[in-house]
Amino acid sequence: MKQQAAALPLQGASDIWRSRVRSAGVQAAVLLAPFVLYGLFLLANGVNPWTLYVSMIRSTFGDLYGLGEVLLKATPIILTGLAAALPAKAGLVNVGGEGQLAIGALFSTWFAVFYLDQMSAWVGIPLMLLAGALGGAVWAGITAALKVSGRLNETITSLLLNYVAAYTVSFFVHGLLKDPESFNWPFSPEISPALRLPILDGTRLHIGFAVAIAFAAVVWFVLAKTRVGFRIRVLGSNRLAAERAGFNINRTYVAVLLAGGVLAGIAGMIEIAGIEGRLRPETGADYGYLGFLAAMMAWNHPVRLIATGFLLGMISVAGNTLEIGSGLPSSSVHILMGLVLFFILGSRRQKEG
Amino acid sequence: MKPYDSEHPYQPYLLKATGLTKRFGALVANQGIDLEVKPGSIHAILGENGAGKSTLMKMLYGVYEPDEGTIEMDGGPVALHPPIRARAKGIGMVFQDFRLVPALTVLDNIALAVEKGWRLNRSRLLARIEEVSAKYGLSIDPDAYVWQLDLGQRQRLEIVKVLLAPGTRVIIFDEPTSVLVPQEVEAFLRMLDLLRRDRYGILLITHKINEVMACADEVTVLRSGRIVYTSDRERGFDARSLVDAMMGDKTLKPVAKPPSGREGEAPVLLQVENGTIAGDHGETVLENVRLSLRKGEITGVAGISGSGQRELAEVLFGLRKLSGGKLTVGGQPIKGGPKAFMEAGVSFVSEDPIKESVVPGFSILEHMVLDGIPLRAKGVGIDWSHIRKALDGSAEAKALALAEASRRADRLSGGNVQRMVLSRALIRKPDVLIVSYPSRGLDIGTTHTIQQQLIELARQGTAILLFSEDLDELFKLSDRLVVLSGKRLLGPYLPAETDISQIGRRMLKGESA
Amino acid sequence: MIADILTGALRSGTSVMLASQGELVSERAGVINLGTEGAMLAGALGGFAVTVWTGNPWLGVLAGGFCGMLIAAIHAFLVLTCGANQLATGLTIMFFAIGLTSFFGREFVSQRIVGFNPVPIPLLSDIPFVGGILFNHDPLTYLSIALVPCLWYALFRKRLGVILRAAGEREEVLFASGINPKLVRYLAVLAGGCLAGVGGVQLSVAFTHSWVENMTQGRGVVAVALVIFASWKPARAMLGAYLFGAAQALQLTVQQMGWPISTFFLFMVPYLLTLAALLVVERRKQSVTPEALGKVLAGDTGG
Repeated sequence: MKQQAAALPLQGASDIWRSRVRSAGVQAAVLLAPFVLYGLFLLANGVNPWTLYVSMIRSTFGDLYGLGEVLLKATPIILTGLAAALPAKAGLVNVGGEGQLAIGALFSTWFAVFYLDQMSAWVGIPLMLLAGALGGAVWAGITAALKVSGRLNETITSLLLNYVAAYTVSFFVHGLLKDPESFNWPFSPEISPALRLPILDGTRLHIGFAVAIAFAAVVWFVLAKTRVGFRIRVLGSNRLAAERAGFNINRTYVAVLLAGGVLAGIAGMIEIAGIEGRLRPETGADYGYLGFLAAMMAWNHPVRLIATGFLLGMISVAGNTLEIGSGLPSSSVHILMGLVLFFILGSRRQKEG
Repeated sequence: MKPYDSEHPYQPYLLKATGLTKRFGALVANQGIDLEVKPGSIHAILGENGAGKSTLMKMLYGVYEPDEGTIEMDGGPVALHPPIRARAKGIGMVFQDFRLVPALTVLDNIALAVEKGWRLNRSRLLARIEEVSAKYGLSIDPDAYVWQLDLGQRQRLEIVKVLLAPGTRVIIFDEPTSVLVPQEVEAFLRMLDLLRRDRYGILLITHKINEVMACADEVTVLRSGRIVYTSDRERGFDARSLVDAMMGDKTLKPVAKPPSGREGEAPVLLQVENGTIAGDHGETVLENVRLSLRKGEITGVAGISGSGQRELAEVLFGLRKLSGGKLTVGGQPIKGGPKAFMEAGVSFVSEDPIKESVVPGFSILEHMVLDGIPLRAKGVGIDWSHIRKALDGSAEAKALALAEASRRADRLSGGNVQRMVLSRALIRKPDVLIVSYPSRGLDIGTTHTIQQQLIELARQGTAILLFSEDLDELFKLSDRLVVLSGKRLLGPYLPAETDISQIGRRMLKGESA
Repeated sequence: MIADILTGALRSGTSVMLASQGELVSERAGVINLGTEGAMLAGALGGFAVTVWTGNPWLGVLAGGFCGMLIAAIHAFLVLTCGANQLATGLTIMFFAIGLTSFFGREFVSQRIVGFNPVPIPLLSDIPFVGGILFNHDPLTYLSIALVPCLWYALFRKRLGVILRAAGEREEVLFASGINPKLVRYLAVLAGGCLAGVGGVQLSVAFTHSWVENMTQGRGVVAVALVIFASWKPARAMLGAYLFGAAQALQLTVQQMGWPISTFFLFMVPYLLTLAALLVVERRKQSVTPEALGKVLAGDTGG
């Protein structure tokens, strides 16, 4: 969108700078305010927010292990964020990342356990990744089919399907995919060690983070530089104009939803091959929603999404710290995430106007 | 229900305006208008499109506040802005674009407008509706949904709303007959007479002289925002003097396009045979449509608004399917949507480009490749510099004074958007161009340029279907004229063998104009 | 067994039903609120907490309705005043409320309450079969059943309803009638949140008598979907909610019967049923969607 860069000729250079500074100030305020509010909230509940925020920074940037943990959390958030951001660019609100991740994890575990067990890493891992992508695409395909042929709103169907996906995973780990040696615990057998992703020394960080960054770059490139991306952006900005320009709208809808499913499914595969090694009912829970929120925060921009995914990863890790340190439920950081989003959503109109 | 004012029985007028002036920026829409509305009298405001009629009535209904001048009622000055004040003073207005909620029933719409509070006494309201409709011949089904009603019924509903509103004594009608078929026009004029007998003061905004002749007690003619003529029954007025006052030095004679010098019939590029076209709710809008667009010819479409123009245009670009009949482009039947039509050489300028063509956040240049300059590939991307060159080198864009290519289209004025979509269509040089209301919202100079460009495009072989509200424009540009009226497509007629008043009569099925 | 399922349909469907009636009011005014899930959660916790503290479930109902309204107020403010995207805002609220309720709810997790209990209606409840299904419920359920015809009456027979529906269709017409459409929408969203909150109370105080983190399990989302399935008609939304309830009740019955059907499959049935219902309605294609809402669902407003 480089054509937009040209400034209005009537505006003087100093005015432009002033308005930029002002808008940067507004943006900073929008980002800081929720942290202040949440701090007050913690204070009122007997937790010192300063310690939390400091430990959040310190555990992130203090040592390699901590940074690794944050990047580990950021990885699926970035991927599911892309799963929301790409359809959003075409004007769709896809909240199905949660379910697509879960089914991606299910497919990749299924393949890893039953077909890829004897394979070497060089063959097995890519195949497992494909299986995850396939799983996510299948799940997104339901939403896409309902959207295109049933004309059902994708937000509602993808949300409902998240619940169905969670029960589907539970169904398998309690049944067909249950580890026979698990003493009735609901999880799958462990995948072969050859299929585990390579890990950076001294951390738990695996190569999946690089995969997420690479996909963010690819999505950015497709959207910003290609004809397909141009069509997607036109459609997302004005559906009627896209229709009148002869674009095949349904095909684009299906394509972006499926691509989103693929990305979220890969996130599910990475969770299995990178961290857990086996499928549990809670594998990857909440990452789909966090990804959606990260995408909203990043205005659906793939590169900015890396930053917002990192931020949400930090907050998630802080949630664990909070739980261990203060005995607060880790989900209470959802309050902070909600607040961050409220401010961003609420300030959007000023930004666009 | 009678508007007779017992408190001020000797007031000779219900409403008196003195020296009303309204400006929009540099444009003076109304200048020094004096006007009286008397009880039991029909006062016609006559003028061409753009003469300032609608500004005047919007001041009287409180939509605009006058910049200068006063309005008096009951012997003293009154402030009518906003409309709720005007209504409280007993001024009602029957709009041209109706103020109705289509998804609600007639009764609900009336309840919304004339009742107060949360509750609703249905039977009492029904009785009141029944009374008014019986008295003035405004038959209407209270339980019908508004979207089911035709334009005439909707107008009757608007009138019932105004009559049921408490204290109505002045009723403003805005071009009321433009949506009516001939039989309805007669009934409408009878109803006006009944209202007059019941001492309502009536303001009739119109550009149709025979209506004025048929019913008005007083007449005021506006031109360029000023009063150029007034008269009443006692002083007398005739059609000739009204026409002269309305037109000024302009002549009524149709301006025909210079003969193209072609021999024989040009080949047909787009053809509809026996077409049936359905509206948004599945209702039939047009039936038995026969239309042929010929190479190098401009076919003009006339018709009162809402006669199926939008639906017809959408069918011809694949945005809407024919629900019956056959459509061929270049002799081949077309399956599919806009893409197939574009590939067959059809291009489309929609009637609402800001809503349907402008992509927010995108530059003019980026808009050019959407049904305009061919999208040239560069690897997986788009060769923008090539497209920029094509645009910069385009005589059409220059002639239309298209804005700078890097400007964002959603920040352009309506006129500049119009220039953008028209440049795009002209640059593409399609085989068939469907163009709706090309000169809407443009100044005279640009309108002239666009008309020239369309004639030039046709000379180069494009078959053009031109929708317009402006009969002068249609006569000036068209090789053939068709008329949409009463679910039919009439014609084609040759401009040289007909005239504006004949076409106007066909638009209204043999009446008015 | 059928009687069990039908009784269970009412018992476990009522919370969804209340929420869907609330969402219906909001959507009729042109605002879709996925935060209904959050309002239900807030209501469930608020109602439960107040019942624990006071021992009076009716105070719990008031508190739950109020909590639901507070959550809906966030939605109303962001959407109506700040012009934020309705779907995204609703989702954020859902997420926010999950966090908020799990934070404040942690001390209530193991608490037990008396709450509301079935009150058989004398004589009527003795009617064989039907009596047990319809006339042996908690007071909140009876009230919720009475609510539906009242809501229909207000929506379609009173000027209040006309105003509400006009706000969801053509706000400019409402404006021309001297009524502020934004105010109408605010009130509708708040009323919707209040009803969703009461639905949450029914879940925690009358149905399960307990508080569990994230206990609504998508009921609020289902309520939103049901409103669309119901073509914005109160009675049909009620029917849909009871269908959802019946699917839930089926689980218990099947488990009791010891049939070899996986419980996880049964868990998904209500959601699949909701999806199927949506599909059936959309196939019959009708143009009853309130205009303002249609724009939101088609993605024509705000990015």
